[in-house]
Amino acid sequence: MPPNITTLNTTRARTYVFRLPLFTRVVIIAIIAFWIAGLQSVVDVQQWGALIPAEMGIATLYRMNTFPFIHLNIWHAILNILALTPLMERFEAEHGTLSCLALFFGPLTTIPALLYVGLEKFIFGGNVAVMGASMWVFLLLGMEAVRTYKANPSFVIGTYSIPTWTTPIALLFATAVLVPSSSFLGHAAGLVVGYGAGLGYVKFLAPPEKILRWIEGKLNLLGRLPHYVSIDQKTYGRFGVLPSSNGALSSSPGVALGLVGSTQRLARYTMGWDGMMGGSYVNLELGVGASDSTALESFLHAADGTAVKMPRLLSSALALRRDPRILKIPPYLSLLCILVGAVWLFLLPLNEYSRRTYISENALLPGQVHTYFGGSDQNVLRAYKQEVNSLVGKSNVEINDKLESIVKGLGLKTARQNFTYNAAGRTYAGENLYAILQAPRGDATEAIVLVAAWENVKHEVNKNGIPLVLTLARYFKRWSLWSKDIIILLSPDSIAGPQAWVDAYHDAHDSSRVASLPIKSGALQGAIAIDYVQEQRFKSVHIVYDGVNGQLPNLDLINSVVNIAGGQMGMGVALQEMWNHNDKYPDRLRTMLRGMLKQGLGLASGPHSSFIPYHVDAVTLQPFGEGWQDEMAMGRVVEGTFRSLNNLLEHLHQSFFFYLLMHRERFVSIGTYLPSAMLVAANFTIMAIFLWMKSGQPDEVPAASTPESSDKETPTPPTAERDLLLPLAVVTLSGSLSAIPLYVFNHVSESALTPLFYLFLIINTLLPIAISTTSSQLFSPTAQQYHLIKSFSLLLLGMFLSSLATLNFSLAMLIGLLSAPLSFVKPSSSPVARIIGFVLLNLTSPPAVLLASAAIWGLNVGDILREAAVAWHVTGTYSAVVVWCVWWPAWLAGCVCVLGRPEEQEGKVKKA
Amino acid sequence: MRQLFSFVLLSLVSLSSFFVSASAAAADYHEQLVLRPLPLSALLASFNFRSNTSLSEFEAHNFRFFPRSLGQILQHAGTQELHLRFSLGRWDSESWGARPWDGAREGGTGVELWAWLQAATDEEADHKWLTLTNALSGLFCASLNFIDGTRTTRPVMSFQPEGDHLNTTAVDTHLLYGVLPHEVVCTENLTPFLKLLPCKGKAGIATLLDGHKLFDASWQSMAIDVRPICPAGGECVLQIELTIDMVLDIDRSKRPRDNPIPRPPPGHELPCNTSKPYHSHDTCFPTDHQANQDWTLSQIFGRTMKGTCPLTDPTVPPVCLQVPNSRSVYHSDGVLEKKNLDRVSRCFEIKPDVNFEIVLPTPDDESAVLVKPETPLLYAERSFTGHGQERGGVQTILRNPSPDTEVEFIYMESLPWFMRVYLHTMSARLQGQSAKDDALIKEVYYRPAVDRARGTQLEVRMRVPPASTVFLTYDFEKSILRYTEYPPDANRGFDVAAAVITILSPAAYNLRTTSLLCSLPTPDFSMPYNVIIFTSTAIALAFGGMFNILVRRFVAADEGPEVGLAVLKKRIKERVGALVEKIKKDKGQKIPYEARNKSGKANDSGVETEVIKE
Repeated sequence: MPPNITTLNTTRARTYVFRLPLFTRVVIIAIIAFWIAGLQSVVDVQQWGALIPAEMGIATLYRMNTFPFIHLNIWHAILNILALTPLMERFEAEHGTLSCLALFFGPLTTIPALLYVGLEKFIFGGNVAVMGASMWVFLLLGMEAVRTYKANPSFVIGTYSIPTWTTPIALLFATAVLVPSSSFLGHAAGLVVGYGAGLGYVKFLAPPEKILRWIEGKLNLLGRLPHYVSIDQKTYGRFGVLPSSNGALSSSPGVALGLVGSTQRLARYTMGWDGMMGGSYVNLELGVGASDSTALESFLHAADGTAVKMPRLLSSALALRRDPRILKIPPYLSLLCILVGAVWLFLLPLNEYSRRTYISENALLPGQVHTYFGGSDQNVLRAYKQEVNSLVGKSNVEINDKLESIVKGLGLKTARQNFTYNAAGRTYAGENLYAILQAPRGDATEAIVLVAAWENVKHEVNKNGIPLVLTLARYFKRWSLWSKDIIILLSPDSIAGPQAWVDAYHDAHDSSRVASLPIKSGALQGAIAIDYVQEQRFKSVHIVYDGVNGQLPNLDLINSVVNIAGGQMGMGVALQEMWNHNDKYPDRLRTMLRGMLKQGLGLASGPHSSFIPYHVDAVTLQPFGEGWQDEMAMGRVVEGTFRSLNNLLEHLHQSFFFYLLMHRERFVSIGTYLPSAMLVAANFTIMAIFLWMKSGQPDEVPAASTPESSDKETPTPPTAERDLLLPLAVVTLSGSLSAIPLYVFNHVSESALTPLFYLFLIINTLLPIAISTTSSQLFSPTAQQYHLIKSFSLLLLGMFLSSLATLNFSLAMLIGLLSAPLSFVKPSSSPVARIIGFVLLNLTSPPAVLLASAAIWGLNVGDILREAAVAWHVTGTYSAVVVWCVWWPAWLAGCVCVLGRPEEQEGKVKKA
Repeated sequence: MRQLFSFVLLSLVSLSSFFVSASAAAADYHEQLVLRPLPLSALLASFNFRSNTSLSEFEAHNFRFFPRSLGQILQHAGTQELHLRFSLGRWDSESWGARPWDGAREGGTGVELWAWLQAATDEEADHKWLTLTNALSGLFCASLNFIDGTRTTRPVMSFQPEGDHLNTTAVDTHLLYGVLPHEVVCTENLTPFLKLLPCKGKAGIATLLDGHKLFDASWQSMAIDVRPICPAGGECVLQIELTIDMVLDIDRSKRPRDNPIPRPPPGHELPCNTSKPYHSHDTCFPTDHQANQDWTLSQIFGRTMKGTCPLTDPTVPPVCLQVPNSRSVYHSDGVLEKKNLDRVSRCFEIKPDVNFEIVLPTPDDESAVLVKPETPLLYAERSFTGHGQERGGVQTILRNPSPDTEVEFIYMESLPWFMRVYLHTMSARLQGQSAKDDALIKEVYYRPAVDRARGTQLEVRMRVPPASTVFLTYDFEKSILRYTEYPPDANRGFDVAAAVITILSPAAYNLRTTSLLCSLPTPDFSMPYNVIIFTSTAIALAFGGMFNILVRRFVAADEGPEVGLAVLKKRIKERVGALVEKIKKDKGQKIPYEARNKSGKANDSGVETEVIKE
């Protein structure tokens, strides 16, 4: 009967918490209170209350009692509370609140404290401060262990019989090993006293029962204090009662016995209990499974006749499920999810949540080689620069002719590739020139790519980058140590050219638009693009690393470049156009958000972007700033990086592929940041499930229940019939309509984009009104149907976003936050509320957001749409699909809901 | 007197080159080095060592020039003919032209071995093959023992025996072929190779074989060929031919060994194109691709040649150089230079105790620097298509440069079993055509792979029309290996051996494609282990203890059996008391020996009842 057991266990846990005795509660509250008190920075609570051997004196004896309440941080506190509560609760239940108070403010705290101070100060000569309730935990564990030993001297593992009293010692060592900065000595002191107390040697310190009883009687503590455990209640208050007379406590005897193997006598009781209850369990399962109130009720009546009290728990659990208050939780829960998700994001730049980067692949050895690029190579570079300067303004073919003659002169194999892309009514055509430097002793199985586009993404001529690449090719040719071929790619532009080349290299190209490559090399292991437009000397290197669709290169590659440029060459490294980065919170956050925005848009950010979808790790290096570094220094950075890549034995795989960089040496990995997007996505799913449940409930429920009646076994209300046709139709309609904007915006010529956008903006505003009016006139939907429309659209949204979060976290997060209002819109009977809701929703509609972001960044809407269309056709960016086919349908369904006028009768009920 | 005689003979012989080859078969040992400068400042050095032994002597274990270590292995493994190749790098046929020896003395990257074994059954042949590979593995310090069943194939069309086999043995002769594409050839393979030579690298052309230079070569191939040769009417001889071909980069080889780093030369030493308008002291358009036409033997090989091997056939000139006759070449004293009649080669007769050195100065005439390389019969380039970890494809581009001759050849692939070939996707098409052309493939021999037991063997007889390019493509699926089957560097990928192309017409010619690196789906080996093990340990320790205490049911102490010091004390007291009582009883009544046992028992039970009463 596993389902019953699980149901009952949660209930058991709940009652357990509600029945915690007084002193335990006080201790827990005190621990929490001290933790909260420790949050402020005026008074150092930890310093004040911790047990510091050197600080011990007559005036500071209070420390011996305060240290268990003070904790290092929230985790320390939570773990200790979790460990302490059951132990303390048992102790108190056995000994009574008063003696518990006396013992724990007396000998059971001070003796281990003194023991610890004595050992630490006089024997070890150290001064390690301890705090936290874990000393109590071990003390109580020791006592329990001795008692267990008396009942059950040993347990058997294999053929070894291990005495049970040793378990706390094992735990002591495990804690010392596993938990960082735990005090072994402190725990051990607690444990020793615990053993002593368990064996009864500390009994003389306990306050005499007579006095306690007198105090208790005089003060009428039992009557005044809730959850107070009397002296007389002790032991028999809880443990002396056999299961047959108290169903609640023996609700899962099978589990308890099965795990610890208690005495035979109890097992006998259990058997009897199980046999007796067998029939009832079957009924119970039937009742729960069918959710049929009559069956359940008949069972409850049958059960009432017996002495069995257990079903009361079950019914209270069921009642909890039906409790109208439960249905009030999800909106708050989903709001909480969004808030936590958003706040989580802002915590990431803190030191506690981000990590320092490190080189994971040892084979890379970045910055470990001497670089020799320089000297007379600079003369060559100047000559090539002259050649390149003379080519500026010439046609692509002329440029390639000249460059090819130079590269051929170096003894490299060259080839060309034509490509033509059509996007937004424009033609992006050109001719790639590439050359292969065959590794002198290599076998053509692997290759690394050095890219220099003639124009960078801002359409500036790469006046230094091209000569630098040519000079480097000439320099690399002289080395015999290359284990991989080096491919020099000189593309006419930064996006389409490299994309066509990489596609053709992997034979993933459309041969009608992109020509195949005449010569090839082995598997690509990495690529470095140089975007060196700046004429004067530079200060630092800017690493551009965002790939198409938010994919990222292996973090090891970035780390290597940072290591070589920053460490070996002594130049700065910047990320995400943060030219000055002080490594403080605001700058870190800005870097991270910029990176997220770029990854969310999913556009190609440089020549390297096209490589990343093919699992070829690539970055673009851009020199910037005014400094004293020249082209040779840049060349040495590339040389060092290539030497590192050349060292690779395996494809880059060691380090992270999913990360957010916030400084050149600080990042968060997917495990840390993913929950935020998942929480935001989960909010939609929670709301969807909530709305589904709500739609299944008849409308009388809110009126019928009051908090007081929840404890009674209320008859289950009947389930309402759900009318699914209209909601499904609306959601399907909005989903299928999304194909129209997706197609239109990707296939219209550039000049028509801007007018079309404004036309769409108007249609977009009118469309929900049209759908809403039509549907209410034709079908007059009920409130339930509006709930279902919203439920389905949110379900889809939550599903898509949570799976998208694993592929492109940033996009999922952006869309999730922008569509967060959709969780909270609902049809209203008042026209004013409807209009306000509709206007607010329109402010967060996809086109409105586009317009707003264009205004914020001072861009033209037409340009943005053109870039999106180019990205769609050339690099295969899927952000448009997410916007139009995931976000927009959900928004449309949300608008229909806001504008919805549920039928009149529903309105009346609501008022009542 | 003898010197005079040999001199006369030499001058006679060197007049015609085919006279040389005719006399070679008769001699027992000869060696020759052919140097051929190639375009792009490369130099092909081709070492050839050949020795014969008569079959009867060989079978009588009478080894003279034939290396004993190898001979015994061959006898033990019943090997009729053996071909072993160690290769590194790739032959750049676009620049360097046709391959030396028409490609007959080279293998694909790594180690290649094929042999004709005498065995009655296939099983016996496999057994002998195992013996052979393991023995050769030890002899050549190579991982040849890794040529197991999955890497062994039995080619049907590609290889033909080079030697003369008697018809009686041809029936039970088995050809086995194995290849190790990932084997890195290095100096440890060269040393045993040199030991097989009669002069062991101490004299003759073998003194030029230095590991540093050999393995710095852009391409190198070491070959061992053992074959029986039965001249008409003569006695059958077993011939062993050891060949080392290498293409040296002159620029790289000329760097001094103690300073091999290619530092940029001082600005004034840089060869510049002074005709450029911007040319100045700090701006230089380099013209270094035309440089490095001058070299000396000692610069290239790091040492001069120490005389000749005294065992060699004196009729064969030890060193030949293939440069146009118009080019001036200087050589050391005691060397006789003979220009051959073909106007593009010259040979050098060297006295046995002379340190041989040649110097090629920078040529005056730019046009007559090199012998124009011969165009190969076929260019072949193989690469993977597709991406991702599930499927892939192989594309081989075969180009026939000849304007009028059709090339017919056999294309052989031996693929690892984890590349599951979709044979139905195999197609050949001409460049410029989208549809496949079935007439290009004449015959296919295909032996499918068996998982973990044997690899795929694919032999295709096909033709390439004159002046056209053929694309041969097929798709394959990548299998997922068991996790123990991954090598330590699993993410590197798996090497796929070179395809062997044997040209049948218009002339016999061999070539190999480059090997490929196939990446298979690879699990992240370390991460799950770390996570699972650590979390399980933490949960087992922390949660286990907590859970135990939470769910354990305790009973009051007086309900269970008592334990503790008090009980122990009580027990001891009881025992002592019982003992004392027993002794008292014994003292009190002396009973006969026979009855003693009985009463003892009675005493024991008496004590027990007493205790229980207490």
